This record gives sequence, structure tokens and C-alpha cells, in this order.
Amino acid sequence: MIFRGGRAGGRAIPWRPSNVYRGVSGIRSPVGRLPDEALLSGLATGDPELAEIFVRRFQHRVFGVAMAVTGDQQLAEDVAQQTFERAWRHAQIYDSRRGSVGTWLTTIAHNLAVDAVRARRTEPMAPEDLDPLLEVVTETPERWALADEASSQLRAALARLPREQARALMMAGIYGMTAQQIAEAEKIPLGTAKTRIRAAMAKLRTTLTSLERGDHGE
Amino acid sequence: MASDAHCEKLREVGAELALGVLPGRERAEAVAHLDGCADCREYVRQLTGIGDRLIGLLPDAEPPPGFETRVARSLAEQAATAPEGQRPARAVQGRRSRARRARLRLAAVATAVAVAVGFAGWAVGTAVEGAVTASAPATESEPMLVGDVIPTGGGQPIGDVYAHPGSPAWMFVSVSFPGTPYTGKVTCLLEHIDGTTTRVGEFLVREGRGHWGVAVPVDLTQYSGARLTSPDGTVVATAQLQKGKVVTPEA
Repeated sequence: MIFRGGRAGGRAIPWRPSNVYRGVSGIRSPVGRLPDEALLSGLATGDPELAEIFVRRFQHRVFGVAMAVTGDQQLAEDVAQQTFERAWRHAQIYDSRRGSVGTWLTTIAHNLAVDAVRARRTEPMAPEDLDPLLEVVTETPERWALADEASSQLRAALARLPREQARALMMAGIYGMTAQQIAEAEKIPLGTAKTRIRAAMAKLRTTLTSLERGDHGE
Repeated sequence: MASDAHCEKLREVGAELALGVLPGRERAEAVAHLDGCADCREYVRQLTGIGDRLIGLLPDAEPPPGFETRVARSLAEQAATAPEGQRPARAVQGRRSRARRARLRLAAVATAVAVAVGFAGWAVGTAVEGAVTASAPATESEPMLVGDVIPTGGGQPIGDVYAHPGSPAWMFVSVSFPGTPYTGKVTCLLEHIDGTTTRVGEFLVREGRGHWGVAVPVDLTQYSGARLTSPDGTVVATAQLQKGKVVTPEA
């Protein structure tokens, strides 16, 4: 896993380890599952049918990320299409040991979406969009029940953050806003914006580190 | 250059660095420090993981009607018209992420954090349905050859083979030798129905696990199985290929 670099060209495209093991060798139920990696491999050969299956499998995830960041249906569609095109062009550098194909695509989509918004707007986000999105990512309804424990814990930890810290984290982590931009948006000193980002990340890190150690007593 | 002062500074900006929002000069300084400080690399790695997970919390959304068809058509057109040098490589294999300079700078980080997820990312959206039991799927189908990888001497399957006999033909193999920390190359051979074999290539198995996808310039329908051999030629596993179909299940 590699950190995301500057937004200008030449960024690393990171991906995280898969958090859900979604298949077992030898079991094909109804008869089996074609691995994402196999599909990506097929995509690289230029097979149109496999391309459509690949897109169908990941389009909701990719479009969801693009839509959340851009808030614009047309722009999100452009970003989502670019995501798949980039995946196709760079399929050979995908390394499954760094994470799932889905996570890889998600990261590409996020980077492209942030860049697209920056290219089109002076404001990275509409202020009224932030709180609803924050509600969505911190909710823990039953439909998240099957999510991996780390994601559930992250949602809960995010919900426990002081509101101003959660907002700063979302602005930076989702909308790609710098501390300076956050300071201007929130009308706070630059140092305060940096502190909020740092404090929020530190708390989430503590939560996930505890989870990795097997300490569930949080 | 690792030092307490530099580390302290890194800890101040690590979150912004991990989230990709640290401005240029600060970022350059931080990256330079990471090159020489394993502790800070680990710190940033953890924070980067949080940033990735944060993105993963974003909700899915329904794309516009026809999106998948438009994108797939675009990809196919690009594949058909792109000069050879601009086409994607015909193989997807582990440890090939060396394309970007920024990533190269942190190759050590990448290595350090390579998590043994094995064959993570198995599909949830596509099934390979055996021809024997398959009724014709309502959605599009793709002829495939599939098989379980069985270790020499028998036992439970330790992997899968998926072979697509289209044009271009390609195959994907995954193996996970239980309890075998073997790291090294294995050779993959296809077994022709007339008993001869065709060498597909050598592939890396790391700590008993490996997977690879590769284009194969042969008529896969003429092959009935695959075998994996160790460098000394010993057959370590085999797979019998059966016809199947790729079907896209209903959402």
C-alpha cells in the first residue's frame, strides 16, 4: 500500500488489502466464481464480452465513488468511464497482493474524481453536500451487517469523532481538500485545520490498530 | 534522513500526506524522509490504509442506463485500434507494479506492506457454471474451460484454472499449496487431447501461493488439462479442464 501522492501527474495509485475473502478455491456455487483477477486478465486481452462483464461487476462501486466526490451525474459518468479505461490500460501493473481489484478501481476512481472536480470548479465541494455524505458513511444499518469488521469499526469510530474533526477528515480524505482549503471553508486558522485532520486520523488509527491486535473492547 | 526532529515533523503532516493533500514542497520533504525512515513509512502506511478504507465507505450508486455497454464498447474499440505498443500487456501477474516513478520511490514500502491476501478479490458477480448442469443462462455467456487444481497424490483442490478459448485465448491459474512455504517458479503445461503437452510459461509462487493470467496463442479447445511442474520437472499438481460458461448472475 502506498500513500496517495500529489494531485498533479505521476501519482501513485494505491490499493489496500482486500478486507473480505470472497471465494474459496474449488467451490463453484452455483458452480463457481470467476476471480476478479481472471476477469481483469481477460480484459487486458481486449475481449469485448469480458469487458462488459467486468464493467457490470464494478460499475456501481466505481460510479458511487465518482458520484460522491463530484456530485454531478455527467461528470461522475465521465470519471467512471475514465476509470475503466485506465484500468484496461494499466491492467498489467495490478498486483493482487496489494488489494482487491475492486479496491484498486475505487482508488483510481477517487483520484480521477478529485482531479476532475479541481479542473472544473474552484470549490472542491458544495458545503451542503458534506453533512449528508457524512451521515451516509457513519450509518450502520443492517445492510452493512455483512461488511468486514474493520469497515464497521471505522464507521463507528468516524461517528464518534467530534463533528468538526469528522468534517475536516471528509473534506481531506474524500474531497481531496488541502488543509488551507479546509481552513477557508470552515473559516478557521490553518493550524486548526491541520490539527483536526491529524486528530481525526489518529483516533481512527487507534481504532483499527486495536482491531488488528484483536482488542475488541473498544 | 531519519532523526527525531524529522520524525516529529513527519508525524505532524503524515495524515495529510497519507490522504494525498499535502502541498508540494512539504510533500517532497516528507517523501524524502520516508526514504530513510522505516518507522515513519510504517506510520504513513497505516494512515494510508485508513484513507483507503474511508473511500471504501462511500455508497454504491446506480450508473445511467447503458453505461456498461458504452464503456465496454469503448474499451473494445480502443483495443481494436490501439497500436501494439499502447495495448495493455497480455499478462496480469503479481509483482509488476513498477510503472510509476512515485511508486518506485517507495518500492520498499510496497514490499513491506505486501499483505498475504492470497487470492483475495474473488469475484462476486460472475459465476462459472459447469456445462453438465447448466441451463442456458439468460444473460450473456462466454465459453470457458475450468478445472480444479489437484495436488499430485490427490486431495482437496488447491486452486483453479480458467481458460478462455476465444481470440485471443487466455488462461488464469491460481494455486495455494497448503502448508507449503515454497517460493520459486513453477512451469505450467497444457495437456493436449492427443497426449502431447504445450508449455505455457514459468510463473512465480510465493510462500506456496501464486496466480497468473496470460494470453496463450493456441486453440484451447484442443486441450484437456493442465499440469504444474517444479523446476526439476516434478509434476506438483494437475487440473482436468471441463467446458463451462461464464454467466452473470442477476443482481
